[in-house]
Amino acid sequence: MSMTDKHTYEGLPEVSPLGAPLDWAWLRGARTEWGVRPKPGPRGLTMMDIATGSYGVVPDDPKHRSMAPRGADVDDDTPDMGYILNKKSDVWSDNVMELYEEAVARQWSATRDIPWGELPELPDDIEHAICQVCTTLTEVEMIAADLPAKWMWRMNHDFIEAKMFLCTQIMDEARHAEVFRKRALANGGGLLMSRGQSEGLLRTILEAKTYTQATALMHLLGEGFILDIFRMGELIAPSPVEKRMFRMAMQDEARHVAYGTMHIRYAVEHDPDVADEIHEALDHGEVVLTQFGTNQDFGSALAVLLGGGVEHVETKGFPLQMDLQRKQFTSYLARCERAGISRLHRTKLPLDLLGIDPATVLS
Amino acid sequence: MNAVAGIDAVAFFEALAAEMNAHPERFTVLGEADMVAGLVMTRPDGTVFAVGLSFEGLACESVRPLPLDELGLVDFHLDGPLAAWQAMFDDIAANGVAVGRQTINSLALLADSIVLRGADPMGVDKFSRFNQTLQEYLDGASRAAAPVRTGARS
Repeated sequence: MSMTDKHTYEGLPEVSPLGAPLDWAWLRGARTEWGVRPKPGPRGLTMMDIATGSYGVVPDDPKHRSMAPRGADVDDDTPDMGYILNKKSDVWSDNVMELYEEAVARQWSATRDIPWGELPELPDDIEHAICQVCTTLTEVEMIAADLPAKWMWRMNHDFIEAKMFLCTQIMDEARHAEVFRKRALANGGGLLMSRGQSEGLLRTILEAKTYTQATALMHLLGEGFILDIFRMGELIAPSPVEKRMFRMAMQDEARHVAYGTMHIRYAVEHDPDVADEIHEALDHGEVVLTQFGTNQDFGSALAVLLGGGVEHVETKGFPLQMDLQRKQFTSYLARCERAGISRLHRTKLPLDLLGIDPATVLS
Repeated sequence: MNAVAGIDAVAFFEALAAEMNAHPERFTVLGEADMVAGLVMTRPDGTVFAVGLSFEGLACESVRPLPLDELGLVDFHLDGPLAAWQAMFDDIAANGVAVGRQTINSLALLADSIVLRGADPMGVDKFSRFNQTLQEYLDGASRAAAPVRTGARS
């Protein structure tokens, strides 16, 4: 319904004070769902609340290529912004609005919400180890900001909710880089070794040929792997300060993985041809992830933390790390199952060597 | 060591909900939550206690007995022997918050006593996404009113 059904607004000027012509279409004749009045819920007015009527319809193949807001009365001659991700299945996931709201509601501050003043003096080997872990995490975290930034301007604007969610992911990753950098510097240690293994994984993600390949590599593989590291944070953290840091980062990372998993599922369900493309990316990604996972600096530092010091690294640290690594890869394979892209019969991971039971993955 | 009594009772979790709802400031930094969690405890005699917890915003909106045939209706559930849950709550009572491997995250990660399960992957994801809200709720056992410590089974 147009608002002109009720008002005609006669007598309005035809030119502006500077002499420019005025047509008043926005007031008199815009095609709009005038009268839409979504009700706020207990938490306020959410994106889910305003996804109502035609405003809630996200087209599979949007007509326009402009930045016009979905649901507006858009001129036919709006410019083409050069979007290349113009199918809903290219970027969408069914949980993306909910994840956006959640991200906004659960932001935290690496400055304020980590009790930096309570950092205890640690034995040198433990301080070195947590600094090395934080060095590597600082190095890898920003990939999950750079990657969506690379693709977002190529996404059709009708998928605004997906773009908004990715904006929150970028903010989250900035905070993660911040918190790990701060921890490396906060207790008398500093940033330690950075070598080639991490860069190989990061380059593979950043240079993926398509967004779907990129998101499979980043969300399913890379962020899933880091999520499990954060989940282990309570086991490796030498003090409550690091525990807090890992716990808060874990919740953020889980949102990103939730988007990626459900996006891949949506993509495969709506365009089965992309499955091959995703498998091809993961074939390579698993190889570089394994190189990253066996990174001598990151891996041995984790083992020292898990063992509680260098003196226990062989008896306790490495065995516990192996056990957790098995859980990490099991968790990745299970995530692929959930995403509808089963890797069990194609994976490059040495399942026997890692002690992974396919039945556990499927359960 | 402090011990928490009566954890296999709805009244116990209602007291934790009351504690949470009386102190939303503890949850503000974590942000709003939207999850329905199930906790399942198997007693030594083989009988099972299950409770459903609904979180909305900064509150625990409802606590209810959870029939086992409704486990598929919650976002996720955590399943383990009563002794494992008791050890977790005793740790909370002793330390004020869960520490070491007695946090709900570490217990589910190691999965050698309490296991994370769920029918819907989007629901299971919520365990990690809202993990600290659930942990803070459970940590409330160290602060909840005295009846929690001595609560009778319902």
